[in-house]
Amino acid sequence: MRKIAILFAGATLLVGLSACNTSENTSSSSGDEISLAVWGSSPSETEGLERTIASFEKESGIDVNIEVVQDNFQDALTARFAAKNAPDVTYMESSAAPKFINSGVLADISKDIKNQEDFYQPMLNSFRDEDGKLFAVPKDYSTLAMYVNTDILTKAGYKMEDVPTDWEDLVNFAKKLQGKLDNGQSAMIFDTSIARHMSSLIASGLNPVTDDDQANFTSSPKAIAFLQSLVDGKEAGYLHNPSIDLGVDSASAAFGSNKTVIMIEGNWVLSALKQEYADVKFEVLPAPTVNGKKQTMTFNVGYAVSKDSKNKKEAIEFVNYMTGAGLQQWSEISGTLPTRQSVAKKMNVDENPFLKAHVQGAEYGTVWSSGINLPVISTAFDNQFLAALNRDKTVEEAMKDAEKEANDEIERQQ
Amino acid sequence: MGGKRYQNLQGYSFLMPALIIIVVFTIVPIAYAFFMMFFKVDILSGSRSFVGLSNFEKLFQDPKFWASFENTFKYVLVVVPIQTIIAMALASILNSRIKFNRTFLTIMFIPTLTSSSAMTLIFMWLFNNNGLVVNMIGNLFGTKILFLSNPDLALTVIMIMNIFSTVPHFMIVYLSGLQDVPDSLYEAASIDGANRFKQFLYVTVPQLMPISFYVVTMGLVGCFQIFDQAFILSNGTGGPQNSTLTFSLYIYQLAFTSNDMGRATALAFILGLIIFTVTFIVNKLLKADKVNG
Repeated sequence: MRKIAILFAGATLLVGLSACNTSENTSSSSGDEISLAVWGSSPSETEGLERTIASFEKESGIDVNIEVVQDNFQDALTARFAAKNAPDVTYMESSAAPKFINSGVLADISKDIKNQEDFYQPMLNSFRDEDGKLFAVPKDYSTLAMYVNTDILTKAGYKMEDVPTDWEDLVNFAKKLQGKLDNGQSAMIFDTSIARHMSSLIASGLNPVTDDDQANFTSSPKAIAFLQSLVDGKEAGYLHNPSIDLGVDSASAAFGSNKTVIMIEGNWVLSALKQEYADVKFEVLPAPTVNGKKQTMTFNVGYAVSKDSKNKKEAIEFVNYMTGAGLQQWSEISGTLPTRQSVAKKMNVDENPFLKAHVQGAEYGTVWSSGINLPVISTAFDNQFLAALNRDKTVEEAMKDAEKEANDEIERQQ
Repeated sequence: MGGKRYQNLQGYSFLMPALIIIVVFTIVPIAYAFFMMFFKVDILSGSRSFVGLSNFEKLFQDPKFWASFENTFKYVLVVVPIQTIIAMALASILNSRIKFNRTFLTIMFIPTLTSSSAMTLIFMWLFNNNGLVVNMIGNLFGTKILFLSNPDLALTVIMIMNIFSTVPHFMIVYLSGLQDVPDSLYEAASIDGANRFKQFLYVTVPQLMPISFYVVTMGLVGCFQIFDQAFILSNGTGGPQNSTLTFSLYIYQLAFTSNDMGRATALAFILGLIIFTVTFIVNKLLKADKVNG
């Protein structure tokens, strides 16, 4: 009996120790393998990634281990870094980059990336710190453009030429259009978050993030008027939010199932529109001008290398390949837009009728990234703007409260 | 065979697997949290600096803290009594040998078996502004009630959902308790002239007191810790207008969105303290110790 007990205790310990041992082994691999953290995305992006990585593996002899994080990528990544178990290379959104850069967990790759002037500079700059050091390299980007469902538009008695290019006219057009639509159809859908509207606010003379990283939502009456137009449109029933008002998961689902005529969305909707809603007929126009100024939002994603990576050399080689020699293959298969101007030229993306408006937007688009406090500032805005949309507050009150909420929280974080 | 030492060794060797897990995943994190709440912690880089009690000070000045405080208490005060009463009533109905009670029991139990995230998605589908419930109310009464975007109602949807999914579990617990109530008590009560309702009130309810203590305590702990439903319903934001921001959700936001582990652990400590106090009061009120003998 005694022997059994000792044996059992010993066995338990052994199992525990060997479990520790195996985990040790995988993290300190021989150096011929790097880990890459990505989020789950469309089938075409997955295919593009896998095939480009296969080309890289063939050329360099380095194995790439893809780890797909299905949900809440930023939170999962934060946890991985906190646990000192960060992937060698990770996808990095420009809006989240300042937080990671500021915490000093990313490797400075300013001198390692080749041919930097070929990138669209605003995108590259969103991955720099205050001293101009580079911490990630853009791999693709999306910009917002205006999608028009031509079937419903013609049925309602309008032509493409009737669709205005300025926001104010567009809203009035939506008002007229709504009266000619079936029940349950929406003239135009909109998103409530500031990530989609920051460029419009800037075009209205308001930068929501001040130079010293504080929130500012109140200083421009024109910006208030812009937000008011959204609130009025929702109240009067010609602007709808796809998930709140129409009960669909995404804007592309609403657009694809003929529930709306106009949406202002990024090129990420194209794969769904082509595959899941193949019979929908649409055209793509540039995002509307606001106060006569061209505007759109740019969302870019890059590759960042972890500072504590044991395979830094291989990781940098990988990043250079994916954003250099392999960029065209990745962009072509995944259907994303290339971040290097030379590749964009080679691929003739601006001749594609669906992509043209998006590519042009890259030149004047506002990159969704603005310092370390942007998450706080955008959360406060989104929260309070919803109150304005629900008619619990006027837009002025909501913006005043949002500004205070954000700045108080920023002070608490100091 | 060997003495006490051998027996101890044997005992601990059996406990070992559980002990290791509890120490590594519960005791050590709790101790670490006690330590961290006095620091400003950057969770990403792991750097920290001592700030004393300023994390608590910041929390008490934070309107979001008070919003989560209010939401969580509102939630607990509504959900716990309702789920306890419904569970008890349903259990005694099922116990009274009505027809098909087994079938009924099986169907009733399905919501408890469904994962809470799947349940949340179903409810979001039912209650969204173009969903079944909203359209039905719209057709019947001609007014559109926007459950998910109305800050006064979003929390109510979560309350309904939670009651719906926890009642069957507690009902089963009550049902097992009801089997232990001796029939002679009901016979005596009916001889004394008590009708069915009075029998329920004066025999069933007091006899079920120890079970009620368990149900209320587990309900309280579960409700104070509500996270997943609020997280999914609001997409992690606690909106609309902080109306679904609960303690646990705010802890998560502080740790992962605000990158401030110090304040997150301070809030977790406050939540732990609240649960401890409330459970203690409930224990005193229900006199669980005495009933248990």
